[in-house]
Amino acid sequence: MTDFLQLCFAGLALGARYALVALGFVVIYKATGVINFAQGAFVALGAYLAFNFRQTWGLPFAVSLVLAVLVGASIGAGTERLLLHRMVGRPLFALIMMTVGILFVLNEVITWIWGQRTLNLGDPWGQDKVTVGDVVLPVKDLWTLGLAAVVLAGFFAFFRWSDLGLAMRATALDQEAAMARGVDVKRVFTLSWAVSAGVAALAGVTLAAGPAALSPGIWLIALAAFPAMILGGLDSPGGAVIGGLLIGVVQTLTAGYQPQHLPWLGESFHVIMPYVVMIAILMVRPYGLYGTKEVVRL
Amino acid sequence: MTRSSANRSLVRSHRDDVRLWRTVSPWGVGILVVLAVMAPFHTSDFQNTIAVYAGVAAIGGMGLNLLTGFTGQVSLGHAAFLAVGAYTGAYLGQELELPLLLWLPGAALAGALVGAVVGPFALRLRGNYLAIITIGLVFIAQHVFANWTSVSGGQNGRSVTAPVAVGPVDFASLEVLGRSFTRDQGFVFLVWGLVGLVALTMKNLTRSRTGLAMQAVRDRDRAAEAIGVRLARYKVLAFVLSSSLGAMAGALHGSYQRYIHPGEFSLTVSITYIAIIVIGGIGIVFGPILGALFVTLVPRLIEEISPSLPFVSTDTAGGGFMTVFSLNQAIFGLLIVLFLVLEPRGLAAMWLRLRLYFRAWPFSY
Amino acid sequence: MSHPRVFRIVAIFCAASLLAAACGDDDTETGADTSVPAEDDASADTTPTTAGEPEAAAGFDGGTIRLGVLVPLSGLPSLIGNPLAAGQEAYWAYVNEELGGIAGRYQVEVVLEDTLYEINTTVQKYNKIKDNVVLFAQVMGTPHNQALLPLLRDDNIVATPASQDSMWIREQQMLPIIAPYQVDVINAIAYYLDEGGGSVDDTICAVVENDVYGEAGLEGLEFAADHNGFDLAQVSRFDLGDSDFTAQITALKNASCDLVFATALPSEFNGLITTADTLGFAPRWIGQSPSWVDVFAGTGLIGYYQEHVWIVATGPGADPTASEFHELLYSYRPDQKPDNYFVFGGYQARAVHQVLEQAIERGDLSREGIIEAMNGIKVLDFDDVIGDYGFGPPEDRDPSRLSSMFEVDPSKAFALGALKVNFTSDAAEAYEVPGGR
Repeated sequence: MTDFLQLCFAGLALGARYALVALGFVVIYKATGVINFAQGAFVALGAYLAFNFRQTWGLPFAVSLVLAVLVGASIGAGTERLLLHRMVGRPLFALIMMTVGILFVLNEVITWIWGQRTLNLGDPWGQDKVTVGDVVLPVKDLWTLGLAAVVLAGFFAFFRWSDLGLAMRATALDQEAAMARGVDVKRVFTLSWAVSAGVAALAGVTLAAGPAALSPGIWLIALAAFPAMILGGLDSPGGAVIGGLLIGVVQTLTAGYQPQHLPWLGESFHVIMPYVVMIAILMVRPYGLYGTKEVVRL
Repeated sequence: MTRSSANRSLVRSHRDDVRLWRTVSPWGVGILVVLAVMAPFHTSDFQNTIAVYAGVAAIGGMGLNLLTGFTGQVSLGHAAFLAVGAYTGAYLGQELELPLLLWLPGAALAGALVGAVVGPFALRLRGNYLAIITIGLVFIAQHVFANWTSVSGGQNGRSVTAPVAVGPVDFASLEVLGRSFTRDQGFVFLVWGLVGLVALTMKNLTRSRTGLAMQAVRDRDRAAEAIGVRLARYKVLAFVLSSSLGAMAGALHGSYQRYIHPGEFSLTVSITYIAIIVIGGIGIVFGPILGALFVTLVPRLIEEISPSLPFVSTDTAGGGFMTVFSLNQAIFGLLIVLFLVLEPRGLAAMWLRLRLYFRAWPFSY
Repeated sequence: MSHPRVFRIVAIFCAASLLAAACGDDDTETGADTSVPAEDDASADTTPTTAGEPEAAAGFDGGTIRLGVLVPLSGLPSLIGNPLAAGQEAYWAYVNEELGGIAGRYQVEVVLEDTLYEINTTVQKYNKIKDNVVLFAQVMGTPHNQALLPLLRDDNIVATPASQDSMWIREQQMLPIIAPYQVDVINAIAYYLDEGGGSVDDTICAVVENDVYGEAGLEGLEFAADHNGFDLAQVSRFDLGDSDFTAQITALKNASCDLVFATALPSEFNGLITTADTLGFAPRWIGQSPSWVDVFAGTGLIGYYQEHVWIVATGPGADPTASEFHELLYSYRPDQKPDNYFVFGGYQARAVHQVLEQAIERGDLSREGIIEAMNGIKVLDFDDVIGDYGFGPPEDRDPSRLSSMFEVDPSKAFALGALKVNFTSDAAEAYEVPGGR
């Protein structure tokens, strides 16, 4: 039983990271209809920026975190202004490819500045842990879950009660109508990229926390977050979180139990389990658990 | 997207109207053929190797172009079909010792079958959702092949000795008029011959009723359904054809390289293929050929010039802050971005415009 | 267009005649396969050129010997590729300057190509430089070497794989230089049982990477288990790129392992240790040498590493003062940080040096000459820095059985302090490298 709980907690922690990454995707998708394949690079960028502020410039960790989020957000906004702007109205797959191109470039720039070696982020959580019964809860995982919850609550409040949030929701529903009502759609687009990159930075920091955990390969988590995002529904922030947590738990439980009980599925089946789950759910609900069904004019 | 108007010059007879290539001149074709045949004589094995890989990429690219460029189904799963083809070709050619004329179509058939299974997903899912499912396809394929050790050798990879002889003509050790060719030269002939065949087939296909239906699906799929173009049929068909070409490319890759490894069929490969069709020209038949050449040659070109770039480190002592590979990747990404922003119809469109300019001269404004 | 058919026929005729003309001039650069064997047959034959003064051959112009090196110089694998190649270059710089070249006469030039750690690029680069080199002094990457094997056989070229895999030992085209992974594992277990405070009644487990490398480690472990009379209680596996190891550590913890042997690479090894520390699991860990990078010594886990982790490797380590050879090598690259791979590159170069000297003595630096030289060498000698390698034709090759144990010590080079250097064990001596391909 302890094992099961331990695995569940690890799954929740992993899932919270997926959720943060997926949230970033969803924000952009909700406002602009684009899936930002470069999200992984923003995650990595956020982590490296935090490293720079914390280790290279010696700032306190909390300050580094906030700065990383802010700087990341501005870079996200800048990318949108510079590049995505020109792609308004272009076919979907051109947009996808554009973000892929950005991914490639950003990943390389990161290694030009910070190199290939594994680095220490220098977070204050270290290896601290809290033990509840027989289950060990690492402090950094608790923080991750906490941050994810705060971010989600913040999103909810923002979308529900703020003008800008309302504007974003309106743009997501119908750009033309929103413009007709005076919403500055361009600003909404830029803002959504900024928010997304900021959330990505947060995700990056929680990922890179721990000893020697920061390396250029960190962007790969974005690939693992895809199933989470799809599962929850591409345009639902709540769905992203639920999807993320779900995928995280499913993945760790699979890693824990599949080798013994279902070895014929192959080694490391847990790596593709999220995709299998995703496909299964999509067959039943093609827009994910909480996604809105598309209504398209002929 | 409609066909470029550059293709349609003024025609004066019905015969001219239905010709496959309206602008061809026999002289031109003759010279091109001669050059093409003579080229491998004068190129080194290194250049021939690059040519073979480019040709393989062209075939795979044309397959993907059919699916994504002509039918509008975004697929990031092409690497999976390459894998299927490579391992099928290896198995048929080596374990079952079948000749080229059997293992190559066999591999294509295997790819087609997998495509037929994946195709129906496209009926249920659209756009972004489909793209991400195809990503899942790549990972699942990698997992399957990494674990199916009897066929794939698992993470060890496997060697491939699939014969490449058509009757008395063995491309691996070609002998014509008493002159023997190296293996690489032979493969250049084989692969690019196939590129020509595939291009011809694609050209015909896209002009046919099927091709037009596919383009209708791409442009306005629900409207197409409303006027009688059966989506189910054409979407699945697109997947089947695309995956069989991808499988063919994979099989040729395996037979040439004589060794395949599951890590070779990764998401990066899928993305590279998308880049090939974007840079080459989406929705234009010969686009992927240009795209494949570009994508295969540019890294080598960058390597040639990097010693003269001070910020690039080309050896172990370092010197610059970026490596050649890094520069490559960045340029690659940059090119994708630039092409999409500035020339969305790719190199092919650039070529067509250039040609139109010269043909219309001196009225080229 | 009128009379298109006529034009077509004329065009084809022109094409054919041009073709014939092209065939006519035979003297092209491509015919490496057709022309070279003819030359070589003549020289490898009976008329001995003055032994010690070989004729020109591929990669050798009578004065300079050129050697190919195919490693990733970019991307993450360059962290290994760069120092590996640097080690080669440092050694040849020494040979050229101090000794005046091989046999005091022939300068060595390294032809370096970046493989990007991609198989197709490796094949392309191989084709690019194969006609310009006598042999390949270094090729990095197990799948990459495997991909080159058919080509090496076709062209009869020799390559030196930069790995400890055992599959190269019986390959004619391959020049392995160091004990395989299996031997290291076996010696590590022997150390644990003899001096490391362990016994065969302990619960011994393993966690291995899901690929050739991991399988090699496991194979060695299973041999040790057989030989010493214990069973492996738990074997967990993971994939390269995994980020969560809760499942594996939980399984090991539940099996109450006293000793866990890990065949891993740095990121994953660190992940395992981090998770073990988190979950309060602290057995004796022994990691295979590629698992370790010195950056781990700078983390909050240093205490755990120092108390619980040993590393097994071949040779005395990366410390520049570990031997004369080390001092020599580092002196030619003063900026080089202590790095195991740098030294490994030097070992490879030294082995190649011996092969080339043999070939020169026999007066033949052609493809066949290199093969004969390789088969004619009795022992690859490393001056006791790493174990000698019994050489000769593939069936006779007998790798060294020496390994070294290290503990984590931040004050030492590469953060590894030697516990015992270049020792062997009965089990390792008893281990037979599989014969045949």
